[in-house]
Amino acid sequence: MDFYYGMAQLIGVHTLLGLSAYVVLLTGQVSMAQAGFFAIGAYLAGMLTVLAGWHIVPAMLLAAVASAFVATVVGFPALRVKGLMLVVATLAFGEAVRIFWFNFDYQIAKGNIQVGPLGGEGFKQIRYFPENGWSTADVALFIWAWVIAAMVALWWLDRSRVGSVLRAVGEDELAAQSVGINLTAVKVSAMTIGGFIAGLGGAIYAHYTTHIEHLNFGVILATFAIAYPILGGLSSVIGVLIAVIFIQGFLVEVLRFMGDWRNLLFGALIVLAMNVRPDGLFDARAMRTLRRLFGARDA
Amino acid sequence: MKRLLTIAAALGVAMSVGTAADAADRTVKIAGFGAMSGVVRSFGINTQAVMQAAAKAINEAGGVKLADGSMAPMEVTFDDDRCNAEEGISVVRRLASGDAVVGVGPTCSNVAEPLFGILQAKAGDEGDSGLQFPIFTDTAIKGGLAKISEWAFRNVPNESQMYKSLFEWLASQHPDAKSVYGGVEEDFAHSRFTWYKVMKTRSADVGYEVKGESKWLLNDTNFTTQVREMKRAGADIIAISAHPFTTCGVLKEMARQRVKYKVLVGLTSSSSLETLNGCAKQAEGIIIPTSFAPVNPEAVAAADAAAALGGSADLHSAAAWEIMMILKDVIEAAGIQATADSVQADRMAIRDGLANLKTTKGLLGEIQRTDEGEAVKPYVYVHADDGSWAVLHDPNA
Repeated sequence: MDFYYGMAQLIGVHTLLGLSAYVVLLTGQVSMAQAGFFAIGAYLAGMLTVLAGWHIVPAMLLAAVASAFVATVVGFPALRVKGLMLVVATLAFGEAVRIFWFNFDYQIAKGNIQVGPLGGEGFKQIRYFPENGWSTADVALFIWAWVIAAMVALWWLDRSRVGSVLRAVGEDELAAQSVGINLTAVKVSAMTIGGFIAGLGGAIYAHYTTHIEHLNFGVILATFAIAYPILGGLSSVIGVLIAVIFIQGFLVEVLRFMGDWRNLLFGALIVLAMNVRPDGLFDARAMRTLRRLFGARDA
Repeated sequence: MKRLLTIAAALGVAMSVGTAADAADRTVKIAGFGAMSGVVRSFGINTQAVMQAAAKAINEAGGVKLADGSMAPMEVTFDDDRCNAEEGISVVRRLASGDAVVGVGPTCSNVAEPLFGILQAKAGDEGDSGLQFPIFTDTAIKGGLAKISEWAFRNVPNESQMYKSLFEWLASQHPDAKSVYGGVEEDFAHSRFTWYKVMKTRSADVGYEVKGESKWLLNDTNFTTQVREMKRAGADIIAISAHPFTTCGVLKEMARQRVKYKVLVGLTSSSSLETLNGCAKQAEGIIIPTSFAPVNPEAVAAADAAAALGGSADLHSAAAWEIMMILKDVIEAAGIQATADSVQADRMAIRDGLANLKTTKGLLGEIQRTDEGEAVKPYVYVHADDGSWAVLHDPNA
C-alpha cells in the first residue's frame, strides 16, 4: 500500500506544478519559468525546516510567498514580450535560478553530517516527514490537502469574474484591452499566482525526495510543467490532474518494464493523445459530459 | 481403528507433501534496480547480467540455506529507475511493498542520495517513519553516502584511498611530472565529487601543482574550448573525472588538438568496456585505479558468467557479484524464513547481518567493512593497452 501512497504523493506534487503553469496559460502566456519558481520553493522550504528547524507548514507558506514575489518581479519585464520571445525569456530565468542554486553553498553541522545546500552536490537530509514520524499515508493526505485547496481555489477563480478576465486576455488581448482590461496587471497576477503554487509544489517536492540538486529543476521539468495543462486541456483544473496521472502514473510507472522503449513510446503516446484530443484529454466536451453525469445543466 | 490409521497416514503424507511443496515454493527474492535506459544504461544492464549470473551460480550450487535447514533458490528481479531520483524512490517504495528481502542498487549517486534519505536513519528508531528496507549498493560511488541511513550499505571502492595511493605511485614512477590539470564532468554528482574532493586534493597532497580544471556537462558533445584550456595549461598529468561517454569525447578532442602530457589518469567508472568501445585508440595508456580486474580464477569465472548473460564485469557490476555472494552468506548466517509472513523480519535480520560484518570475501581479496556501511576494497591500477584493460600495478602485491 505504501507504494500507492508514494505514487499519490508524486502525482500530487506534479499536479501542483501543472496547476502553476495552468493559471499562466489561461492568459495565453507560455511560461517556462515554473521550474525556477518550483526550485525556489524547494530550496527555501528545505532550508527553513532543516537549517532553521521550522514546522513544515509555515516553511511552505513562506517559500511559496517568496516564489510568488520573484514571479511578480520577473513577470513585469518578462510579460512585456510575447510568444516565442516569452518562452525564451522565461526559460532563461529558469536556467538562471538553476545556476544560482548550482553555485549556492550554505551548510551547518547536524550530528555527524553537514547539511544545507552545497552547490552542484545538492541539498541532502531534508527529512522533516520521517524525522517527525509521518507515515506515507499521512504525507499523501497532507499533500493532497494542498492539491485540493489549490484546485478548488483555481476552480473558484475560473468561475469568478477574475477567471473570465484571465480567459478574455488569453483569447484575444486586443479585445480585452479594448474593454478596459489592464493586460499587464492580469498577466502579472497570473504569474504571481502560478509562482505561489509552484513554490508550494517545490516545497513539498524537496521534502518528498529528501535530497534536491540543481539538475532536478532543468528544462525537462519546465517542459513537464507546461505539458500537463496543454495535454490535459484548459477547460478545467481536472485536465491537469488527468494529464499528470497519464504521464506519471501510466507512461512512467506502468510502462517501466519497457526500458529504453518506454522513452520512445513516451513521446509517441503524447503526440497521439494530442492528435486524438487536440483540446486536451479533458476538453470542454468531456467537461459537459461530467457536468451532465452529476446532474448539472449546461450553461 | 484401521480407518483412523489410514486417515492419519494420509494426513501425514499430505502434510509432508505440503511442507516439501512450501520449501520448494520459497524463494529468496533479491530486487535489483538501476539505470536501464538513458545515457548511463550500460551500468544497469551490466549489473542485471552480473546479478543473474551470480544467482545462477548460487542456485546451481544448491541455493540458499534457510532457517529450517531447507534450501531455497535466489530469484533476481531488476527495475529501471532511469537514473532519476523520483523514479528511484517510486521503484524502492514498490519493492518495499512487495516480498523482496533486500534491494541492490542504484546506479547513480543522485538517486542513491535521496533514496537513502527516505530510509529510516537509525534502525529501530520508532520516532523515524522512514522505510525499513535494506539496500546494498553496487555502483553509486560518490563518497560517504551510506552513513545517511543504517539501512543503507555499499560495496563500492574507496576512491579517496585509491587515488591517494595512485598519485603517490605516480610520483615515484614519474619523478619528472610536477603538475596536474583536471577535466571534470561538472553536473554529475560522482565525477564532480571525485575531482574536487578526491583527485584535486590527493594530487596536491602528494606535492603536484594543480593548474586548474576544465568543466563540461554529461550531455555535452563538443569539447573544443575545454581542451584548448587544457592544452594551454601544459600540465604533466591530465586527470579526467568523467564517465565513458564524455571521457571519449574529450580524449578524441585532445588527440585532434595534439595535447601533450606525460601521464593520463581516468575516473574509476571509465575502466569499462564502454570506454574501449568508444575510443580505445585515444584512451591508450590511460591509468585508472579499479577494484575489479580478471586477475584470478574466481574473477575470470565471474566475468565469463556475466559475459554469457550479455553483460560485462567491471568495477561496478563486479561489485554486484560480490554483493550476491555476501548476501548468500548473510542470509544463511541470519537464518531467514523467506515466507510471506516473515518478509519484514527477514529484512531486519539481513540488515543486522550486514551491519555486523567486519570483512567479506571479494573477487580481488578480502574487503573491509566500516561501521558506516561502507567497504574498503582491494584494488589494482589498470591501463588501456592495445584495446583492452591490463593490470599495470598491484599495490597489494
